[in-house]
Amino acid sequence: MKIVTIKTPDQVIIPLQQHDGAVCDSLVSVGDIVSVGQLIGDGEFRIHSSVSGEVTAVSELPHPTGKDVLSVVIKTHDGEKREIEPVELSAGKIRRIIKEAGIVEPNGHPTLRTKGDIDTIVVNGTNTWDLSSYEALMLDYPSEIVYGLKALMETVGAKKAFIIIELGSEALNTMRTETIPDSNIKVIATPGYYPPGTENTLSKKFAKKKVPRGSTTEDRGVLVSSIAAMKAIYDALRDGEPMIKKVVTVAGAVGSPRNVLVDIGAPIGHVIKECGGCSGTPVKIIVNGAIPGAAQYSDEVPVIKTTTGILVQTERDIEREPPAPCINCAWCVDECPVGLMPHLLYGYADSAQFDKCAELYIGDCVECGMCAYVCPSKLPIVQIIRYGKHGVAEMEASE
Amino acid sequence: MTYTISPLPHVKSDESVKRVMWGTVAALIPITIAAIYLFGLPALTIILVTVIAAVVTEIVIYKAASQPIPISDGNAVLIGLLLALIMPPSVPIWVPIIGAAFAIAIPKYIFGGTGTLVFHPTLVGFAFLLAAWPTLMGTGSTPNLGGFSDLLIETGAGRLVEASPILVLLGGAFVLYKRYVDRRVALSATILLLLVMPIVGMGSQLPYVITGGYFLGLIFLAADPVTTPVTKKGRLIYGVMLAGLILIQLHFNTYFAGMCFAVLMMNVFSPLIDRSTIPKPIGGK
Repeated sequence: MKIVTIKTPDQVIIPLQQHDGAVCDSLVSVGDIVSVGQLIGDGEFRIHSSVSGEVTAVSELPHPTGKDVLSVVIKTHDGEKREIEPVELSAGKIRRIIKEAGIVEPNGHPTLRTKGDIDTIVVNGTNTWDLSSYEALMLDYPSEIVYGLKALMETVGAKKAFIIIELGSEALNTMRTETIPDSNIKVIATPGYYPPGTENTLSKKFAKKKVPRGSTTEDRGVLVSSIAAMKAIYDALRDGEPMIKKVVTVAGAVGSPRNVLVDIGAPIGHVIKECGGCSGTPVKIIVNGAIPGAAQYSDEVPVIKTTTGILVQTERDIEREPPAPCINCAWCVDECPVGLMPHLLYGYADSAQFDKCAELYIGDCVECGMCAYVCPSKLPIVQIIRYGKHGVAEMEASE
Repeated sequence: MTYTISPLPHVKSDESVKRVMWGTVAALIPITIAAIYLFGLPALTIILVTVIAAVVTEIVIYKAASQPIPISDGNAVLIGLLLALIMPPSVPIWVPIIGAAFAIAIPKYIFGGTGTLVFHPTLVGFAFLLAAWPTLMGTGSTPNLGGFSDLLIETGAGRLVEASPILVLLGGAFVLYKRYVDRRVALSATILLLLVMPIVGMGSQLPYVITGGYFLGLIFLAADPVTTPVTKKGRLIYGVMLAGLILIQLHFNTYFAGMCFAVLMMNVFSPLIDRSTIPKPIGGK
């Protein structure tokens, strides 16, 4: 299904922290008039305005991660659109343009995050559960994605690239056709697996490079990126447009579930309304996927650069069965993508034995949620593991 | 508008402890019917009273302890049914009743209930009965695989479960597919046992091993998730050690009891195996 562009909201809330790092400094103050694509936040990362309008507030506001983050609120002016000029390309400039466009991966890492040697780029195009924005992007913009990928390869000096797509996805054929002329770009079909986009897993599985504890895939010459980032690179290079829009999957109990192109900063309530509103009484709104996502306490929370999906659940979708005792079935151990012992971590963290948690590498947990998903006893494993991580951090701080 | 918040995940699989237990019970229904067909009324009586005894014991104990009664999870029914199936049809009714009550009270309740127990309650109940009333627990005949028809209906069956090896395997295939029992333990122990016996010169005993009792023991009793290790490596080691112990038991003990004691002995090693096979996470040294 085609990606639908939705109406710009009357007001956008742009948090100044949309990546894995420190909050940016605000470059604007209340009363300023900003235009589309204008830089409004700078620091270790760059954030741009997605609309033209007037800044009405710069304050701490709810963020999809659950914290309050310094955000810029902009009231949209009607009909005003900045002309976007195509950019003249020269090799040295590509890196700067990509960097200045503030492109970020769904996991919060900036796409261009290394100056070191990169040999392979792995582009994650797999979708799981309720999310399908990557597939929609590949179907609608195949050549743009390949363009973006080639530019990134040139910039970091990568010799080859893999595009990972789920078996059975319609996008598989589209992307295969699109990459026929490029012998160094390979489209790989993979059975659906979870969690998607964990850098270490992708690197190990497709680039055949294992990442030792404490280092990153970039140290091994592998850059893991995503389809959304490739499209953003294209937009930045060809249209001079920084990352101010995002394709988001709206799923669950909504009037018309679909993939929509949203201005960064649009409140999720606005996005849901533009997709036909909630069908039934919404009980839970989840950002970024049914399993690893975060439930929101307010629909005023904005769509940010790392947002990939919005899921609306009604009472019927919610599991409220009380947990039963662990029966050692070992399903969590079989599922854990990192090779941990979730049921032991649960037991130790639950009884506050944080030293044991640390011994069992609790810090390595990526919180993908798969253990709690399969658990027949319905134990809140991830919640307790988070508590355990907190306990370990406190224990180490007091030493 | 207020919304519910909760930690991830926001969807959960359909499987539950209830489904695991009742699913395992369902997998035993075909062999239960075959046993009733072969042995008639005594088999039906034994199965009914044993299951009822297990359920009633559980209700009484948890009620007396003012704890929530876990009957609906199906564990007591499963323990009772498994115990009934390994009884000889000639056994007086009161023997499996005592066995079921013992299995629920001591190895299950005293050891902390479903999930924390160390020894498989059914096997402890069986061992207790065998030690207390060895003559009553004796079987009239020993099953022996003579031909293909013995796989379907074993006329030499000495215990209810030995009525039909193929129906036990059918139920076993279901629980293995659904992961209601541990695949690694069940498959490694069964395959290893069948492969190694001819090699070590025990090939002549194979017909006594390809019986309903052994398949029930290896799939439903030995690979029971609660009593087996949890680590991936540990479960394989458990299966291999179990096959080895069964071989030793076969040398000194009667066929079925040997297997049961081998599984009980392996239950002891389960925590030890777990502790010594904690895996390093991906990327660890």
